[in-house]
Amino acid sequence: MDELRPLLEEHRPRIVLDCSQVRHMDSAGIEILLDCMSETMKRDGDLKLARVSPASAAIMELMRVDRLFEVFDSAEEATKSFQAASLPEVPQSPPWYSTGFGLDDLKTVN
Amino acid sequence: MGIGAIVVVGAELETTAGSAPQASTQQFASEPLECIDILGRSMLERTVERFVRSGTDNVAVFVSQEASHAVQPFSVRFENVEIHLVSDVRTAVTQKLYEYGSGGLDHAFVGSAALYTETDLLDLFYFHREARQAATRAYDFQLPLNLWVVDCEKAQDATLDKLLRGAPNSGVSYIIRDYVSRTTHPRDVRRFVSDVLRGRCGARPSGAEAKPGIWIDQGVEIHRRARIVAPAYIGRGSKVMEDTLITRCSSMEASCSVEYGTVIEDSSVLAQTQVGIWLDVRHAVGSGNKLFNLERNVILEISDPSIMRSTRSARQETRKILEDSREPQYVDACLRTQGKEKTTPAPESWQFGANPIRG
Repeated sequence: MDELRPLLEEHRPRIVLDCSQVRHMDSAGIEILLDCMSETMKRDGDLKLARVSPASAAIMELMRVDRLFEVFDSAEEATKSFQAASLPEVPQSPPWYSTGFGLDDLKTVN
Repeated sequence: MGIGAIVVVGAELETTAGSAPQASTQQFASEPLECIDILGRSMLERTVERFVRSGTDNVAVFVSQEASHAVQPFSVRFENVEIHLVSDVRTAVTQKLYEYGSGGLDHAFVGSAALYTETDLLDLFYFHREARQAATRAYDFQLPLNLWVVDCEKAQDATLDKLLRGAPNSGVSYIIRDYVSRTTHPRDVRRFVSDVLRGRCGARPSGAEAKPGIWIDQGVEIHRRARIVAPAYIGRGSKVMEDTLITRCSSMEASCSVEYGTVIEDSSVLAQTQVGIWLDVRHAVGSGNKLFNLERNVILEISDPSIMRSTRSARQETRKILEDSREPQYVDACLRTQGKEKTTPAPESWQFGANPIRG
């Protein structure tokens, strides 16, 4: 957790945890993952997991945290998923109700 | 003319059967799976019952030293059933065949307790008698089963290994088209539970069918906010706490407890197991602090007792009370002295809220 702290304190941290070296995961390990997820979410970031072993996946499923994390087969895939999510936004014309209208205008439109 | 039966527990009858317990099975359960309760009764008991009901004059059960601690008393008293703890199962079987032969029993079924079949055993016997061979082996769609009929007199002329291994080569084999269950892997436990609860075989869970497809045994406590979706089985003295969900052919054996908010789906919780709060047990077999996830084919050994733990020591008194309410049971004296249960000290900090995971 201490090693991750500097990364977690960045603005919009995008973190991929390669879990291939994780031999055993218990409730303490799950708690660390949840803390990391919580910190990244607070800063509008995301945490993704890669190469999770079947045993770790099973314990995550048992403790109902599997649905909180995106899990990828490789760290590259997890990284790419961040890139895909951060494509430049296509400029759009503002929705008709977003600017310049007040409640009275809405009533008029309806 | 009479017929006997020999049932072997915790040992292989012949070396090439390929049905030896897999390493994963041994890692998961310290006792042979045929000795553990599945839907309230062990496969051993179900197998013995099949032999008794088929009209055998005597059933001899040989339990290996390694399995001695695992054999549970039967829930039903059977006549002419004897249980022996033996150091060398194969020698004991050979001697028993000799005893049967000299005692007037011409033929004997020889089988493993891990094999449960609903075939007509008398038909197998008549088939063997007409074949006029020393031993006839049963097959299941061309796969060999650990079930033979042996001519006790002819068995004296050959070693057991030669007799059993030579059976398929020396003559005709008997093909079983009825229900067969080999209990050598936790996956087989799930398959059997599913088959029984879905009515795919003749075996039934113990206890009573409280609602269609929901079998409840004696002394069960189910919170009114718990949800049990048929088919399901809740074993003797088990507790199902509030907001739990038991679904998809799941079973809980005797003296289990499933705590607040936990979901048991397509899973079997073996006897004396406590499952903590707010968990998802799916496609798995749980026993004590071990969980065999069948989907991922991994065994989890859970060190945190608030998640899963064995309740063996804590439940001994309950079990004693429950067993007192059963029919008198037959257990060989040697088993009674050597079959002591393992005692695992119960952790003190078992309470609601002990689960570190935030729901």
